[in-house]
Amino acid sequence: MEPEREWVELNFGPHHPSMHGVLRVKAKLDGEIIKDIEIIIGYLHRNAEKLCEMTYFADNLVYFDRMDYVGAMNMEVGYLEAAEKLLDIEPPERAKWIRVIMAELQRIAAHLVEIAAIGLDLGMLTPFFHCFREREKILDVFTEVSGARQEVNYMSIGGVYQDITERAITLTEQFFEEFPKRLKDLYNMFMKNDVFLSRTKGIGILDRDTAINYGVTGPVLRASGVEYDVRKAEPYLVYDQVNFDIPVSYKGDSLARVLVRFEEIKQSQKIVEQAIKKLPDGPYFNPKAKKSLMIRLRGEGEVYARTESSKGEFGVYIVGDGGVKPYRVRVRSPALKNLSILRPLSKDTMIADMITTSATLDLVFGEIDR
Amino acid sequence: MNYTVEIIGESVGKDGRKIIQVSKENFLDLMKDLKSKGYEHLSLITGVDRKDYMEVVYHLHSLKENQYVVVKVETRDYKIPSVVDLWHSADWDEREEYDLMGIIFEGRKDLKRLFLPENWVGHPLRKNYDLKKAQYINVDKEGNDYATFDEGGGW
Repeated sequence: MEPEREWVELNFGPHHPSMHGVLRVKAKLDGEIIKDIEIIIGYLHRNAEKLCEMTYFADNLVYFDRMDYVGAMNMEVGYLEAAEKLLDIEPPERAKWIRVIMAELQRIAAHLVEIAAIGLDLGMLTPFFHCFREREKILDVFTEVSGARQEVNYMSIGGVYQDITERAITLTEQFFEEFPKRLKDLYNMFMKNDVFLSRTKGIGILDRDTAINYGVTGPVLRASGVEYDVRKAEPYLVYDQVNFDIPVSYKGDSLARVLVRFEEIKQSQKIVEQAIKKLPDGPYFNPKAKKSLMIRLRGEGEVYARTESSKGEFGVYIVGDGGVKPYRVRVRSPALKNLSILRPLSKDTMIADMITTSATLDLVFGEIDR
Repeated sequence: MNYTVEIIGESVGKDGRKIIQVSKENFLDLMKDLKSKGYEHLSLITGVDRKDYMEVVYHLHSLKENQYVVVKVETRDYKIPSVVDLWHSADWDEREEYDLMGIIFEGRKDLKRLFLPENWVGHPLRKNYDLKKAQYINVDKEGNDYATFDEGGGW
């Protein structure tokens, strides 16, 4: 008869170098095999939704910047899609195109950070520097238009705060001249590395049904063979006027999730290049929003808007009671749903594999904890 | 669309999504019905505190048909049946709504707070939550967090 066994309990975090911020994982171990994990979050919880109830519609944007702090432009697009529908304000055509340019540049930047983080978790330092060098050029564009690098606060209800400058377009074009070659180098750094391949190929396999059942979206879902992208499923801004493909993989392993992100970066570049060509002239701000001095904007009813952030389906649900502040704001955080599959994925795997799997889920805790 | 259960009302929201209102008694049957009709993706659960009752809103999504449907149900005793058995993505959503809104989801195991420590007093997103009383989070000897009204001798 086998003696009764006791599992060793091991705590990762809340501040563990490989846990992407403030994730705490309590793992039950049998030697090096994980039997079960408990995910404990909330260390960065600021209750942004309550703060939104206490602030004017136009001022709420800053809380969204600070959710996904490596993908701030995409968060702004998500909030404004909902808020503008609620307040009946339509941004002018030029503002929509500028927003697409910024959102896609931000998607490239966010994916670069994610790829850098995956490399770091596998002990590869060189890709990190390459990714951040390229990302810095995108942040230069953001600095040019808004004056800030990360929490940009560039868009606003009714359009964008300032028009896109000639220099910002030149910077973007210069960046794209070099970028495909740099991306190829980066790709080779991963794909010609046997250590990387053997630690991601066939590891952390997520099947289609589990992914849908757990509410997973974004690159993680598309790596499991579901062709779902909000930009195609329910086009917002001007995404129905640009050509791009949805990269899908059917493998569902950690490697597939990395490859899907590489492919998405290329698609984003395609979108920005088209958007710069098609950028129409005209106002960049709806005078209706400016005239009301922002503070007097009132909204009634309820709106749910979904957009495709770099992590997946980002949803904002706003209820207004006719006042100057929202009655209730609720955020659907794609990273939170993606994190929830870490538990089934890490059962009966090695500790080291749990680390790589969690890396490929693209966790940003500003958004998970809000 | 035909439903197997009686619904209270059907309307279209400002964002063009179909809203179905249902009573608490018929709620679970409607959800089962919708799941079998292909709404395999539960996007979001929201609680809206209407002061004398709680409104719970479910955003369902059919990936195949690319259809969205919104289910609304009212509860006066802040209790509602859980849908974790139908969609696993409800698990953390329900825990979050329990944590911040104080909605009790019945028929599921392990309903505990998601963000705040277990002994936190009150539910912050309720409209009658007292914001003037500050609560502080501390860590005990075992490494577990707990909430306290005592500021302590920290920073």
